Amino acid sequence: MTVTLELTYDMAKALGTRALQVEGARTVAEALRAARERFAGREGDFERMAGVAAIAVNGVLVAHRREGVRLADGDLVTFVKTAAGG
Amino acid sequence: MIKGFAGRVLEVDLEARTAVFRPLDEAIARLYLGGKGYGTRLLYDLTPPGIDPLGPENPLIFATGPLNGSLAPQSNRFAVVCKSPLTGGIGSSACGGSFAFGMKKAGIDVLVVRGRSAGAVRLEIDGDADEVRFLDASDLWGLGTGAAQKALGKGMHHAVIGPGGENLVLYAGIVSDARIAGRCGVGAVMGSKRLKALSIQGTRKLDMEDEAGFKKYTQWVRQVFKGHPVLGEKLRRFGTMGIVNTTNGRNMIPTRNFQEGHHPDAMGLSGEYLEDHGLAGVRSSCLHCPVACGREVEVPGAGRVKGPEYETVGMMGTNLGVTDLEKVSHWNWMADELGLDTISLGVTLGFAMELQERGMLETGLRFGRAEGVAEMIEAIAHRRGLGDDLAQGTRRMSEKYGGKAFAMHVKGLELSAYDPRGSYAQGVEYATTNRGGCHVQGASMYFESTGPLTINPQNLKLKAELPVVQQNLACAVNSMVLCIFTTYGLIPRQVHALKPGGWTHRLARVIFENSGPAYRLIMGSKLLQVTWLDTWLSRITGLRFTPGHLQEIGARIFNLERMYNLREGLTGADDTLPERILREPLFKGMDSGHPLDQLLPRYYRIRGWDSHGVPLPETLRKLKVRT
Ligand code: SF4
Repeated sequence: MTVTLELTYDMAKALGTRALQVEGARTVAEALRAARERFAGREGDFERMAGVAAIAVNGVLVAHRREGVRLADGDLVTFVKTAAGG
Repeated sequence: MIKGFAGRVLEVDLEARTAVFRPLDEAIARLYLGGKGYGTRLLYDLTPPGIDPLGPENPLIFATGPLNGSLAPQSNRFAVVCKSPLTGGIGSSACGGSFAFGMKKAGIDVLVVRGRSAGAVRLEIDGDADEVRFLDASDLWGLGTGAAQKALGKGMHHAVIGPGGENLVLYAGIVSDARIAGRCGVGAVMGSKRLKALSIQGTRKLDMEDEAGFKKYTQWVRQVFKGHPVLGEKLRRFGTMGIVNTTNGRNMIPTRNFQEGHHPDAMGLSGEYLEDHGLAGVRSSCLHCPVACGREVEVPGAGRVKGPEYETVGMMGTNLGVTDLEKVSHWNWMADELGLDTISLGVTLGFAMELQERGMLETGLRFGRAEGVAEMIEAIAHRRGLGDDLAQGTRRMSEKYGGKAFAMHVKGLELSAYDPRGSYAQGVEYATTNRGGCHVQGASMYFESTGPLTINPQNLKLKAELPVVQQNLACAVNSMVLCIFTTYGLIPRQVHALKPGGWTHRLARVIFENSGPAYRLIMGSKLLQVTWLDTWLSRITGLRFTPGHLQEIGARIFNLERMYNLREGLTGADDTLPERILREPLFKGMDSGHPLDQLLPRYYRIRGWDSHGVPLPETLRKLKVRT
């Protein structure tokens, strides 16, 4: 089972990648854990920026931090920041 | 005369070549403020039902409000009102630039242009001398909007059309400086009058009730805006393109004609990307606006020009499957020069691409490919070949070639760049907004889905109440005439500062999401107060604005627009969304599309309308809407 984790712009810039493929994560919490491991040595950056973003699964905000939300193969998990625009 | 108003309406007849100054109707100004509200009242009163929107009998009304001409932030805008050739209903659009400032300096609140000139004409209005000059514009005819303004020279404030308006493209706009009144085809109406340009000047001073108090209060509001996370930081720093990553992450950015809501490469179109790659030349703004949400970009062959807005990168970028910023910037510049609305243009191009994809029409345009797009934009503006069909907009294209289920418009007006399946309240707003599928006649998506208190888009809580409040507020703001972004400042910075997922954030979100009954109560007792907007108005006009007053004025304007639409044959059946939005799921895990049918009856009830969407007599009586 593979899910895609998309980072915010700031995270992508600091961590050098825009998206990660995560194998075998069955919940949002597991996907986040896998991401943290991927950024070993830069967890500080990851936590700081992830901490001010909400999380969406396939575009739907998952009540911001319901990390137990289950994932299915092909799901897209996105860090999202609020914005303004016209 | 009420302070803040110049007290004059200028009526111009292009056929008879007459110009008459009349006093502003104070009673209408009290009931409808100015801008869109005053313009709608005039349109309703001046025209019989069923006029041809592109005929000489359709008046083109430019209207300012009591705040225009002051130094209030985001206040130099004008409204344009007429019957829309795109929808056949109420047409209204707003524009920044400097023309509104010119109108107030010339001592004119409202300018009504009627009739049709025999040849290309332009107007020069000298407000100090009370002189209106009708000048031959054949040398300007065919020029782009930038070139035409350059030819007109500095010293006066201009509003012009490009070839799109001249050739009656149904989504042509009117341009002032680098800003455009893009929606509803107001530029086509100006073109139908053979009016290329309006230039205005004057040195009159705006008479205020409490000038010192107004200035002091404005200073305070400026400080609030400056420190506000949206107005002072995000919008200022990244421009409107700063929303791309949010809507993309939320599956709400139209992609391939709304077939999807996410594009893996959308980040390259974001405000953050623009800033980091040094592509944003300088900030640009409407006159006297401290937010300066505009950007300038380098376009090969054109130099440094106005950069695309969020709507443009959505509709002409991801919606076409194209994420090449250079291409989108180029098309945006072309559209501005040709005087075309990039939202309607982008949706129509996306529709043409889907027709091609389905083998329903050979358009030469394909999703994800930039080839042929620039040529098609030119062809649309000059009504050449297939461009002649695309110039009629998505609805008419679908009537001719099929594909109504994926023609992304409401009432004929193309949808903007927020997929309502990710923002149910926004969907209700698109469906019910009188001018059609538009996001700046309320902007529920900000308060619902993209702002700091994002509520669950997949339940029905607050999804009918929010659009009513937002539409009313937007009607009032569009009648002042202020930029809609001022309303973003209503969510205090403290709310923005809440940490997503933290308990205070969760608590605030739950309260907001469950506040429907409170909203209904507050709306019923007119207690909804909009602090600085009311205070500004009071200090300028001397009128007392009681709590809820702006909601009431907004509701009055909204209901009058509704009555206009009903008169022109639009009914509750037009309060709908494209079939794709209603039927096709957007998210993985979503069973169907937007649940409009469940929300519309509640919306009608809150509005005080019957089950067919017709305002009840008591609603009109209560709001003092005379029809
Ligand atoms: S925020 Fe942007 S659109 Fe609004 S007035 Fe300022 S520059 Fe113009």
